[in-house]
Amino acid sequence: MKNKAPKKSYVRPRIILCAAMFFVFFAVIFAKAVQLQVVEGERFKKLAERQHTKTVSIQPKRGEIYDRNSRELALSLEVDSVYANPDKVRDHRMAARALEPVLSVKRAELEKRLASDAGFVWLKRQVDLSDDQRKTLDGIKGIGLTRESRRYYPNRGLAANIIGFTGVDANGLEGVELRYDGMLRGASVSRVGEKDAKGRVLLYEDMDKGHQSSGQVVELTIDKSIQFIAEKALKKAVEGAQAKGGMAVVMEPFTGEVLAMAALPSFDPNEIKRFNPKEWRNKAVVDAFEPGSTLKLFLIAGALEENTVKPNDLFFCENGAYRVADRVFHDAEKHGYLTVSDVIKHSSNICAAKIGAKLGKGGLYKYMKSFGFGEKTGIDLPGETSGALKHYKNWSGVSTETISFGHGVAVSGIQLANAVSAIANGGFLMKPYIVRSVKDKHGKAAAETAPSVVRRVISDETAGKLTKMLIGVTGAGGTGAKAAIEGFEVAGKTGTAQKPDLKNGGYEKGAYMASFVGFIPAKNPRLVILVVVDEPQGEYYGGAVAAPAFKEIAEESLAYLGVFSSLRGKALTGTASGDVSANVTTGVYKAVSSQAQGDGLASGAKAVVPDFTGKTMRSVLRMAKAASLDVDVVGSGTAVSQMRGANGKVVVRFE
Amino acid sequence: MIRPADTDKLLIISFVFLVAVGIAMVYSTSYIWATSRFGDGYLFFRKHVVYAAIGLVCFVAGAKIPYGAHRKLAYPALIIVIIMLIAVLIPGVGYVAGGARRWLRLGPVAFQPSEAAKMALVFFMAMNLAKKQERIKGFWAGFAPNMLIPGVVIALIMLEPDLGTALCAAFLMLLMNFIGGVRMRYLVIAALAALPVVYFFVMKNFGYMMTRIMVYIDPWKDPEGKGFQMVQSFIAFGSGGIDGVGIGESKQKLFYLPEAHTDFIFSVIGEETGLIGAGLVIVFYALFLYSGARIALKSKELHGKFLAIGVTFMIVMQAAINMSVVLGLLPPKGLPLPFISYGGTSLVVSMFAAGILLNINMRNNEA
Repeated sequence: MKNKAPKKSYVRPRIILCAAMFFVFFAVIFAKAVQLQVVEGERFKKLAERQHTKTVSIQPKRGEIYDRNSRELALSLEVDSVYANPDKVRDHRMAARALEPVLSVKRAELEKRLASDAGFVWLKRQVDLSDDQRKTLDGIKGIGLTRESRRYYPNRGLAANIIGFTGVDANGLEGVELRYDGMLRGASVSRVGEKDAKGRVLLYEDMDKGHQSSGQVVELTIDKSIQFIAEKALKKAVEGAQAKGGMAVVMEPFTGEVLAMAALPSFDPNEIKRFNPKEWRNKAVVDAFEPGSTLKLFLIAGALEENTVKPNDLFFCENGAYRVADRVFHDAEKHGYLTVSDVIKHSSNICAAKIGAKLGKGGLYKYMKSFGFGEKTGIDLPGETSGALKHYKNWSGVSTETISFGHGVAVSGIQLANAVSAIANGGFLMKPYIVRSVKDKHGKAAAETAPSVVRRVISDETAGKLTKMLIGVTGAGGTGAKAAIEGFEVAGKTGTAQKPDLKNGGYEKGAYMASFVGFIPAKNPRLVILVVVDEPQGEYYGGAVAAPAFKEIAEESLAYLGVFSSLRGKALTGTASGDVSANVTTGVYKAVSSQAQGDGLASGAKAVVPDFTGKTMRSVLRMAKAASLDVDVVGSGTAVSQMRGANGKVVVRFE
Repeated sequence: MIRPADTDKLLIISFVFLVAVGIAMVYSTSYIWATSRFGDGYLFFRKHVVYAAIGLVCFVAGAKIPYGAHRKLAYPALIIVIIMLIAVLIPGVGYVAGGARRWLRLGPVAFQPSEAAKMALVFFMAMNLAKKQERIKGFWAGFAPNMLIPGVVIALIMLEPDLGTALCAAFLMLLMNFIGGVRMRYLVIAALAALPVVYFFVMKNFGYMMTRIMVYIDPWKDPEGKGFQMVQSFIAFGSGGIDGVGIGESKQKLFYLPEAHTDFIFSVIGEETGLIGAGLVIVFYALFLYSGARIALKSKELHGKFLAIGVTFMIVMQAAINMSVVLGLLPPKGLPLPFISYGGTSLVVSMFAAGILLNINMRNNEA
């Protein structure tokens, strides 16, 4: 060999030097390994755990929604949903061809979804499948089925505006479904699973346990039968007048419970995609409108309470035309002198304006505010409007006059019905509500809504005077004569308001809101009913368009509730009377009325204050009314104590 | 002292251990990924075993063929390698993966010329340094050929681009020249002369390189994006702790750690076997280095010395750089872990190199 062992002195040390350098390199690597695994090991373990495990939340079955008599309004059904793991599907085209007829999804769409990079794609959610179809799906590799719960509304459009609807993931999107979403949904069950970097869960235990739990059940104050009656009557009124839409509210005046709330146009929550968001609106809560003459009620209430006027005071109605500043006000009919009662009966704008002026800005504003206008009622439904009521300091020249007959102020249907309830129940503004109780799936109550008084607005005496005037409205010659029901005294008020022109300012020509609001039986009110018809064609007066619908709702609802006519002494027969049997509502009402009668007897001796303790607020208010007692209520629930106040009022505390 | 026969055993034990670890870990790291991607969990494992078998044949061949023969093979090997490195750059011939044109396809087999090029460089330099030893201090005989010819090969590798392998080869060339006795001042000049080339290259790929360097400096700045691989590598390695999460139990290989069966396999070794396993791997590379260095020192002729230390450094340098990248000591390079990573050419070449070392040692024993 040529180069055999030439003594090259530098080779050996240089080899050793380079090799040593690499040993040091390895030592550094080992040191770094120790740092990562031993010194920082715990930190990395935690980081790893955090990214590897995923808490999978399993939705329990969504709770049902019932009406006040436990009749189903919204249910949850278990249905199939079809998904695919695209990377496991061998032949996308073949799979799409096989799936098309089963899922009724277009082949191109299926292929598009199968081409996805995701590990998981839905092909069709919430579909009804036959056993044969399930078998077909099982035969295709990479395609799977899972059970999902789908919301189902057995009464289709009935009370849809109140109940709302859910999205495809069973999340509440409108109405009670939205407002009570958390309770209906229930606590989701958590399961820890392992996931890969694509976020796919690889395995987890007890996956099905979630379905054994359930969301809470919500019971509404709504009575399905009265809701049906209200919707039917409203539809008839709206269609008869070829109107754009309308709303109706039925309330229990002593508690603030909403028994029915109808809106038109309406929708079917089972097929929500077919409808326009405008059709979802729960008008009585979310929309504000200029009410017109129905607002005169609260003006007069204020004027009577403040002793500004007495029912028989005369006002000159200027024979139909009255100039204030640069404006001329008109009445629909020309009137000379009218008593305050007749101002209400004939709905004179001019005299209302004069009474308003007499009461004064501050007084008018105080009572409007006090009756709940310009602020939310606090009803447990989403999207409530507060309406529009400017502070009187910001009122323009004729605001006092226009607000006196219901213009230049906007209110919601629920505000109006609730304010009228305050007149009906003897002066208490209640907080309206739509959910009576929330129960767990075994029927144990988790939360119950008790009636709650917001404030006392007017005295029982004022309320009584007003009621008398309102009975006049439905009497012969009154604007609301078409709301009169044989055998009952009906208290009510018509309203006809020109709609404000939102585009050009001023008022829209030929566009009216026709309304009627009232309560029945007038002296012992059971129902407060509001009907509003939006843009009726042809005849547009509230007394002509809305009053007949009020009458229809009142008549049929009373018959359904089994309320006796004072004339015939027996229940009126109405279309819904078949529902009367075994009806919880009726039971409650009957009990209350007999109690009220009993209390009425006891109140023969006037100064005797009945014992309210242990009674519900409704009973207390009724008893007080029957005994002609002025009471102030504090709190909510059942009465725990009572004491006589300085001004002769009895203060009742509830807990 | 360890006798040459013991060196044999040490060498064989260390490389057999490393190859075995490789087979086990390629199976462990690729199974789920291959199942999801190709519907065949054993795909990479099977290929890796086939390559290991080919590597075994090469190992035996390397051990049987008297290493002196490689002297004659040096130039033909160099020419073939240069042709392949040019071919790989031609679109349609070279096969692109991961943005670089690095592979030649021969039927079902993908071949990476840059891996073979390193081997050919070692052959050439061992031969040339030994041959020119008497004139090694001169510029034209000692320095120029030992710099320029490897320089061409390295430039071709850079063009793929395969910066990691190119730097590895350049560093290897410098070390061999240093050991071979080329004047230090020439080496320094060569390094300085290479600067414009490096500068040009850096500017051309500025964004890409800056990204890598920024990721190296602070991978946690963008753990979901650019720093993802580094961060995931730390999480994998670090979460192994002292005794690991258990063989086959790695969670990081479930799509968190890209290239878990190739460049970042050491990370999963750390996760599954902990400091004990990762430390053993480091120790066995050190043992391999120790045996290779001993063989080089014991060799009675310069060609043997240079060849032995060349192939030893070729392997341990790559191993050290790969592990440093995984642990965040160096910026990402894209180099496989010799003997262990999936990647046919690297495994076959490394095993062939081990065979050559064994052959040199056998000659040492004979004398």
